[in-house]
Amino acid sequence: MSLENVLSNWSKYRRGAEEGGHHEYEHKWAMMINLDLCIGCNACSTACYAENNLAVVGKDRFSKGQAMHWMRIERYWDQADKEFPEQGASFLPMMCQQCNSATCEPVCPVAATYHTPDGLNAQVYNRCIGSRYCSNNCPFRVRYFNFYSYYESSWPEPLNMQLNPDLSVRDKGVMEKCTFCVQRIRVAKDKAKMENRKVGDDDFKPACVQGCPTSAMMFGDYLDEDSQVRKTWDQYQVKMGPYKQDKQEPELRGYRVFEGLNVDPSVLYLERVREEV
Amino acid sequence: MKRYSIMALFGDFDEAFEAIADIRHAAVPGITTDDVTLKSPIEHPEIEEVLGERPVHIQKFTLGGALFGLIFGFFFLASAQATFLVQPQGGKPVIPLPSNFVLVYEMLIFFGVWVTFFSFLFLSGLFRKPHPLYSEKVSLDQIGVLLEVDEDKLQPLKDLFTKHKAVEIREGVLQQ
Amino acid sequence: MSIVNEKDINEQIAWAKINADVLSSMANPRKAYWISVAMCIAMVACAVAAEAYQYNEGMGYAGLNNPHMWDMYIASFVFWIGMSHSGTLLSAILHIIHADWRKPIYRFAEAMTTFSLMTAGFFPIIHLGRMWNMYWVLPYVSDRGHWPNFRSPLVWDAFAISTYLSASMLFLFVGMIPDLAICRDNAKGWQKKLYSVLSLGWTGTDRQWRNFRKTYLLMACFLIPLAVSVHSIVSSDFAMSIMPGWHITTFPPYFVAGALYSGCAAIITLFVLLRYYFRFEEYMTKAIMEKTCKLTFAIAMVWTYLNLVEFASIWYGHDMYSKELLIAKAVGPYAWVFWSMIFCGSILPFTLAFQKLRRSMPIMFVVSLFLNVGMFFERWMIVAPTLSMSHEPHQWGVLWGSIIEWAIVFGSFGWFGLLFLVFVKVFPSVSMYEVKEMVYHRRRHLVNDDAAEKFHRRASDSKTGTDEPGLEGA
Repeated sequence: MSLENVLSNWSKYRRGAEEGGHHEYEHKWAMMINLDLCIGCNACSTACYAENNLAVVGKDRFSKGQAMHWMRIERYWDQADKEFPEQGASFLPMMCQQCNSATCEPVCPVAATYHTPDGLNAQVYNRCIGSRYCSNNCPFRVRYFNFYSYYESSWPEPLNMQLNPDLSVRDKGVMEKCTFCVQRIRVAKDKAKMENRKVGDDDFKPACVQGCPTSAMMFGDYLDEDSQVRKTWDQYQVKMGPYKQDKQEPELRGYRVFEGLNVDPSVLYLERVREEV
Repeated sequence: MKRYSIMALFGDFDEAFEAIADIRHAAVPGITTDDVTLKSPIEHPEIEEVLGERPVHIQKFTLGGALFGLIFGFFFLASAQATFLVQPQGGKPVIPLPSNFVLVYEMLIFFGVWVTFFSFLFLSGLFRKPHPLYSEKVSLDQIGVLLEVDEDKLQPLKDLFTKHKAVEIREGVLQQ
Repeated sequence: MSIVNEKDINEQIAWAKINADVLSSMANPRKAYWISVAMCIAMVACAVAAEAYQYNEGMGYAGLNNPHMWDMYIASFVFWIGMSHSGTLLSAILHIIHADWRKPIYRFAEAMTTFSLMTAGFFPIIHLGRMWNMYWVLPYVSDRGHWPNFRSPLVWDAFAISTYLSASMLFLFVGMIPDLAICRDNAKGWQKKLYSVLSLGWTGTDRQWRNFRKTYLLMACFLIPLAVSVHSIVSSDFAMSIMPGWHITTFPPYFVAGALYSGCAAIITLFVLLRYYFRFEEYMTKAIMEKTCKLTFAIAMVWTYLNLVEFASIWYGHDMYSKELLIAKAVGPYAWVFWSMIFCGSILPFTLAFQKLRRSMPIMFVVSLFLNVGMFFERWMIVAPTLSMSHEPHQWGVLWGSIIEWAIVFGSFGWFGLLFLVFVKVFPSVSMYEVKEMVYHRRRHLVNDDAAEKFHRRASDSKTGTDEPGLEGA
């Protein structure tokens, strides 16, 4: 009975993130983006559009801020004193950071966004009622809402033939966001299971990582000690976990965006190396 | 012996008060204040001085309802959370106490209010056909004193009411 | 300037006149009434048309975009929820502290509570992307084992609003039963049937009164903490997030103060309207108006204080996001809204401090409308600037809303007005039995005071020379 369940598992259900939560992670998918290699070409974004059936909204709606780019390149000009300020542009590819203490999760009234045992921040389209609270509580603002029935105009014949059959096309009124290409993760996991082995680095890549011409991005399982991603995180002395980073060498380039908000993101950024430095 | 119901209407509360006080002091033998029903356009808590303490039990039901809301509320939420483990974590425990307290608080009030309301409906003698002697004056500005008595007590009561300047005295035979 | 001191109510007023005056307010609508009803229906029609379009085509037509996922809908929701609070204040808190001047005006204030909640309840539903699934927020047993997420402040809202709406409706209804019995005794035809059912067989027996009084008191005791918790929960929608300008500890008291404030202002507005339209000068007296104004002024100052506390704690805190947002509110694109809010909310209420202005009904009518404009701006200034300028600078943007959004907000006022107009014709908008109680007790006091004075004089006359004029018997 459920009451028995409550009483016998009380201490387990009272554990928060500090004590590791109530379930063990099978994987902890993580990413690394080297900003020094990013040239701002938007290939990752384009790849994402193709892979994830993202709606193309057109110029008007884009300028209204109703675009659906799960992966976006943010541009900042922070060297205005240069002769050509454009030279100082820096790029920040921004997508869902799959935070382990995600602020979007506890505010969803219907539990449409939750944490999977893979360490992913999942979004259940069928469960979403579109209260948009998750987006309002996301410091990265990487959640995109279907303001219209985009599918009606986004892929006119015969473009609808290029839609990815591995995942759905979303209708109006639901929230969506980067999934770390969960459909590819699914296939890779199934294949590895059939071949009775662990999922390795070479089994798959998300579309953005695959599309990056300068190999600025890296993807893998943080819990796998041998994965490249884990090695890079360790190399830059950034640890996954909710509390303050304890870097031995603070000059190392690795950082997570909005570390101070304690949301524990799964994406490591490597700062751009400046000319002056 | 026939039973009668008699209602005297008073224009002034003090007169009605005096009349009931007289009944209390056994002005009419065999009639006590327990037989008296007061009908008034506004509440007169002072009347208990002569009518005697008449208990109200609603608060006990209210307490019960509120406690039910408290206990049921908490275990309802905790059971739901414990059976729905995919619910978003956000780094928080499965059964988070602070947010459950908020909801349990609301459920305490919810059940408390509804139980109070229903116990009011059942305990205050509503849902009855109006008394045949009911006068619309009672909802306007007059005080009614209603008794159900045997035939022989009728006349002394009438005299008593007339002595206290009753505006109107109504009487009727009770159906046996 | 001479200070006018007058009675809250003329205690010599005949009870039959009270009944007649209030019952006549429920009969024979005049032309102005039908015009108001037509206007309200037209406003509601605007909102219905806008909502139908939005429902079919998507939330995008409300003008919402990526940073501005909530906008005027949530601001209006907070506004209407807030307005519902002072009905409870007047009826429950003032009932418990035995402030009997509330009696002639609490009925319509309570009706206002219920109707503004019924208006507010629409907004969280309207703002949902897939509102046909709104019942998923409620905890029902589903064959798929789904439950709502009890951590979400939106679920708390659903609990709080349903509790508050049912509790305040019951409170309004229970408090009205003796009056409905009066209506029953005076009505004919179908109205007699209606009021017979509604008055539940109330005949004013001592048993009914005793239980009634207890029930009313218990419900009042429940409603006070409930009202405070409801607006605290609404503030949790913001305070529980991590956004700058929302994640503020003082939000619950700030919201409660703001709620009482806008509600009191709305009471003044409706007070003037009812007094004028129904010629209730003898019940809704200037003395009661003055007391309401003083209450509003006090709450306005509490609100102002909490505003300043919030600004100061942001200014002296070290959260750069919040500080930058605060500066942006004052000088950014929303500055005119912000400063109008400060003017209407903190400067304008000083008119309530002057007796001459307070006693002028037209001035108070206009002032109270502006106070509520200020409070609407306050809610807007809570929702919009944070969304326009949060942590991520790439996603900054200003939004003024679309015609669809504004049409729905506009229509909500019509809906509230419509409910209220129906109420004043179907139910007594002044509590007859409680005005009688007020008159009765005041008259008694008058008599007792005279008697006490006489006794005192006699006592001191007879005991000249003794130090203590034995007051035990007085």
